[in-house]
Amino acid sequence: MRRSAPIATALLVVLVLLLLLPFGGGDYYVYLLALVFINVILSASLRPSLTCGQLNIGHSAFMCIGAYTSALLAKNLAVPFEISLLGGAVLAAGVGLAIGYPSLRLRGVYFAMVTVAFVEATRLVAQIWVPLTRGNAGLSGVPKPRILGMTLATRTSQYYLALCLMLVVLLILYKLEYSRLGLVWKSIGMADNLAQSLGVNIANYKLLAFTLGCFFAGVAGAFYAHFIRFLFPPEFGFLLATNILVYNFVGGRGHFAGPIVGAVFLSLLSEPFRGSPYETIFYSIVMLLTILFLPGGLITLPGKLVGLRRRRTVTAPSPSSAV
Amino acid sequence: MTAALLVQSTVIGLSIGSIYILMALGLTLMFGMMHIINFAHGAIYMLGAFVIYYVFFQWGAPYFAAFVLAMLLLGAFGYLVERSIYRPIKGGIEPTLVALLALTTLLQAAGYPVFGTLDKHVPPVFSGTRNVLGVMISVERLMIIPIAGVLVVGLYLFINKTRMGAAMRAIEQDKEAAALQGVNVNVINGLAFAVGFALAAAAGALMAPIFKLDPMMGEQPLLKAFIIIILGGLGSIPGAILGGLILGLIDSIVATALGAELAFLLSFVFIILLLLFRPTGLFGHAP
Repeated sequence: MRRSAPIATALLVVLVLLLLLPFGGGDYYVYLLALVFINVILSASLRPSLTCGQLNIGHSAFMCIGAYTSALLAKNLAVPFEISLLGGAVLAAGVGLAIGYPSLRLRGVYFAMVTVAFVEATRLVAQIWVPLTRGNAGLSGVPKPRILGMTLATRTSQYYLALCLMLVVLLILYKLEYSRLGLVWKSIGMADNLAQSLGVNIANYKLLAFTLGCFFAGVAGAFYAHFIRFLFPPEFGFLLATNILVYNFVGGRGHFAGPIVGAVFLSLLSEPFRGSPYETIFYSIVMLLTILFLPGGLITLPGKLVGLRRRRTVTAPSPSSAV
Repeated sequence: MTAALLVQSTVIGLSIGSIYILMALGLTLMFGMMHIINFAHGAIYMLGAFVIYYVFFQWGAPYFAAFVLAMLLLGAFGYLVERSIYRPIKGGIEPTLVALLALTTLLQAAGYPVFGTLDKHVPPVFSGTRNVLGVMISVERLMIIPIAGVLVVGLYLFINKTRMGAAMRAIEQDKEAAALQGVNVNVINGLAFAVGFALAAAAGALMAPIFKLDPMMGEQPLLKAFIIIILGGLGSIPGAILGGLILGLIDSIVATALGAELAFLLSFVFIILLLLFRPTGLFGHAP
């Protein structure tokens, strides 16, 4: 508990820096950071369902649904951004509910295979349904986000929108994780039989975790659609889904901060190779090294370093400590 | 559909089915013993095809030498993967699956700078056509069936007639009990990785002269192999063989009737429905 004051201060400093960034940095950093915020939403929204022990390798499918729904609503029906964003998220959650409900009985490997098949099926639908999605030609000309009748035309204003969305999503997920609900999720992930024997309706709680994740992935997708303004089906495939999973595992699954740290760290470090095969090579190597040498993820690194130093001082006491 | 088209679809279906069976056998063997799904299987299939591209086409070695080399090289790689990835994780299923996913994306992405971004083609190995029940079928496709057949029979004999095969079956039944009886579980798991990878490499090597080669070419057969092992029941080898034959036939007839892309989409819908409503497969027992 006594450590919470410095952490709160550090978070406040980070927040102030993020708020000031558009004044100091150029358009490039504003654009880059907004993409990082999208990745943070995706990564953090996968966490509840991972906590329940469901290996979801199809999270990008729900981002895809949110992105296309919101883009098409805004482009074809001139729906304002607030509504189209909500529409994308609700449809993503609805599809999540439909696919999640029957797959609750499935565990581990079986569930993972359903999600892999689902992400590829979604991508193919976006590719084949040409009259609606324009298929592999890509959906272009998605309108810029318009909030309360005001078009957010500049990158800076869109950046603040992304920051707000991310903060709201993180706040909701944080509150849930440290509520009774979060405890139930954790108990299901640790021992679902035991949780069930204690009267927890594990099916409902798992479904809630999964659907909630789909909803926020839809939010991320909807913002992405109006920010990049061009949608291309192959971008939402298996590879993006794997990346979202990688953020969680590289960051660390033991703490709420894990997926955030993982998404920020990997998105920023891989920036020089964004869009090239080297980005994937970099992600994959970091993932393999993390699983093999730092199974708890990056968030356990400070603790390990402190432990290492402490052990060294115990085994070889320096003259100063003897005084 | 005319009789000729039906015969043609059946023969093509059998040859495609043979490829799927080779893919599915390794997956189901590894699942039975270690309860993991090897997502890297499609990437190994791709590497097997590229060994043929370089050794047979570019360097001019005989096709069968290149074929055996592909199996040996990737079999050794499989043992290495068990040693350096599966074993250190010590049986944690989720981290293992994620590590195998990372290995898959690594091999696929590395394929672009290493092999180049243009599609590659391997010239035909067997030329000419043969008359099958009044329909002309290319020998290239026909030859897949006996070669895959030999490998399947070989695997069957290996698992059922050798001591190492007995050790594999023992691990599948009960890992702890097998270890207590003196089975070296680590080495036998490594062997299962080697056998699975070698079979995937063989599937890729057989397909190399027929399809174009690119780093993502393994995705489709991998997902097809998923369907087969679920259909046949995870861990069941006879189930994988029967499932492969059924899927090959359905696949070839549906693709002829509806077009390849829609057939692919339907196969995913089929996996999802199958997993949701009959996760133990057609012949599988309770998980």
